[in-house]
Amino acid sequence: MPRLFFREALARALAEELDRDPRIILMGQDIGAHGGSYGETRGLFARFGKERVRDTPVAEAATIGLAAGAAAAGLRPMAFITYLDFLMLGLDPLVNYAAKLRFKSAGQLTAPVVVKTTTGAKGQGPTHAQCIEPWLMSVPGLTVVAPSTAGDAYGLLKTALRAEGPVVYVDHKELFPKGGEVPAEETLIPFGQAALRRSGRHVTIVSHSFMSLLTVDAAALLSKEGIEAEVLDLRSLWPIDWAALGESVKRTGHVLFVEEGQPVCGVGAELGFGLRERGVDAKMARLGAVRAPVAASQALESFVIPDAARIAAAARTLLEGRKEVPT
Amino acid sequence: MIRKLDVPMELGEGVEVRVLAWHKQEGDAIAEGEALVEWETDKAIVLVTAKQGGFLRKLFAREGDWLKVGEVSAFFADSLDEPVPDDRGAAAQGLIANFETT
Repeated sequence: MPRLFFREALARALAEELDRDPRIILMGQDIGAHGGSYGETRGLFARFGKERVRDTPVAEAATIGLAAGAAAAGLRPMAFITYLDFLMLGLDPLVNYAAKLRFKSAGQLTAPVVVKTTTGAKGQGPTHAQCIEPWLMSVPGLTVVAPSTAGDAYGLLKTALRAEGPVVYVDHKELFPKGGEVPAEETLIPFGQAALRRSGRHVTIVSHSFMSLLTVDAAALLSKEGIEAEVLDLRSLWPIDWAALGESVKRTGHVLFVEEGQPVCGVGAELGFGLRERGVDAKMARLGAVRAPVAASQALESFVIPDAARIAAAARTLLEGRKEVPT
Repeated sequence: MIRKLDVPMELGEGVEVRVLAWHKQEGDAIAEGEALVEWETDKAIVLVTAKQGGFLRKLFAREGDWLKVGEVSAFFADSLDEPVPDDRGAAAQGLIANFETT
C-alpha cells in the first residue's frame, strides 16, 4: 500500500472525485494557486481550472451560503473552512438552510454540500483550536465524519463527495505532519462504521480524530500493567456505529469516552446515554478538555487537552471503581 | 568514529519525512558544506548538509522511504575501513549537520 502524507491522501481523493463527477466544485480561502492551507489542493487549480477550484474571500458565511445554494441548484460543492472555529460564522447557512432543505421541501430539494474543516489544538490558541463537533452532531440532517488516518481521510472524503445530504468532514491539524497507508485501488469508506484500532478485554476506549492516535498510545501504556484496552475510532460522529460500540462495551463492561473538546454535552455524553438507551449496561467515564479555553502557550495547551498519560490514568480510575469528577 | 544522521527533533513532534534524494552514495567521501540528502515534510523541503567531513558508509532509508523523528537514516565514519554496525539502533554520536528548510 502506498504511503502518503495526509494532504496527499486528500488531494488524491479530490482529484479522483473531480474527474468522476463534473458537478463537483471546490470553494475556499487559498485553495486555488496557493494549493490550500495545508497543501491539500496542490495541483488541482492547474488541472481543473478556476471554474471548479475557486478561491473565496475571508467570508465563511457567504462561502457556505453560496455552496449550499449551488448544491440546491444541482452542483456538488465542497467548501473549505480553514479552522472549525470559523465554521461558527457559517453555521446559519449550514444549519438553517443546507441541513433543513430536504425536510422543508418534502424531499424535492437536497443540498449535497461538503464542508471540509480542521479541528483541534496545535499552538494556535483559544479561537483556532476548538472542537465543536458535538454542536454539529446535534443538528438533524447533518452527517459528521472525522478520520484519524490518511487512508480513512481518503475513503471518507470520497464518500462525502457522493452523499446526498450536507456532510461536515473534519480533519485535525496534528494529522498533517504524518504519513499513512492509502489503498492503491479506489476505496470508499461507508459512513457509520467505527474502526477497531486495538483489541482488548478489560475496557473499551472510544475516541475520534487525533485523540484516537493518543488512545492507541495510552492502550500500549496500559498493556504494560496488564490492562488490555480495546480502542474504537468512531470515524463517523453521525451516524454513530452503535452496533460496534454496543458489542465491545457489553464484552468489556467498561467504557471510557475520550475527546479533545469540552466533555459537557460532548461526544462522550451522547454516546454514554445512547448506549444506556440501547440497553448496554456498563461502567462509564469520560475524559475531555478541562473547562477552559485552549491557550496559545504550549504548556497551558498541554494542561487543557488530554494526552496518552491522562487517558491511561482515566482508564485506571474507571477500572478501579473510583469516581473522579472532571474539573 | 561512527556517526549517525537521524531526523532531528527540531522538525517537530510527530513529524515524518519522505526521502526525496540522496546526493551521496554509500562509500562516498563527504566534505564540510556538501549536500547529503533532501527530505520532504508535509510543509517543506529539508536540505541536509554536512558540517564535518568523513565517509557515507551505510544507508537505512532510500529515496521514497519514510522516517520518523529520531529515526536513523545513515551511518558515517572517518574512514572506509572502520567497521560499521548493521544495527540501525546502535549507539553513535550524531553527525554534525545543517538542516535548511525551504
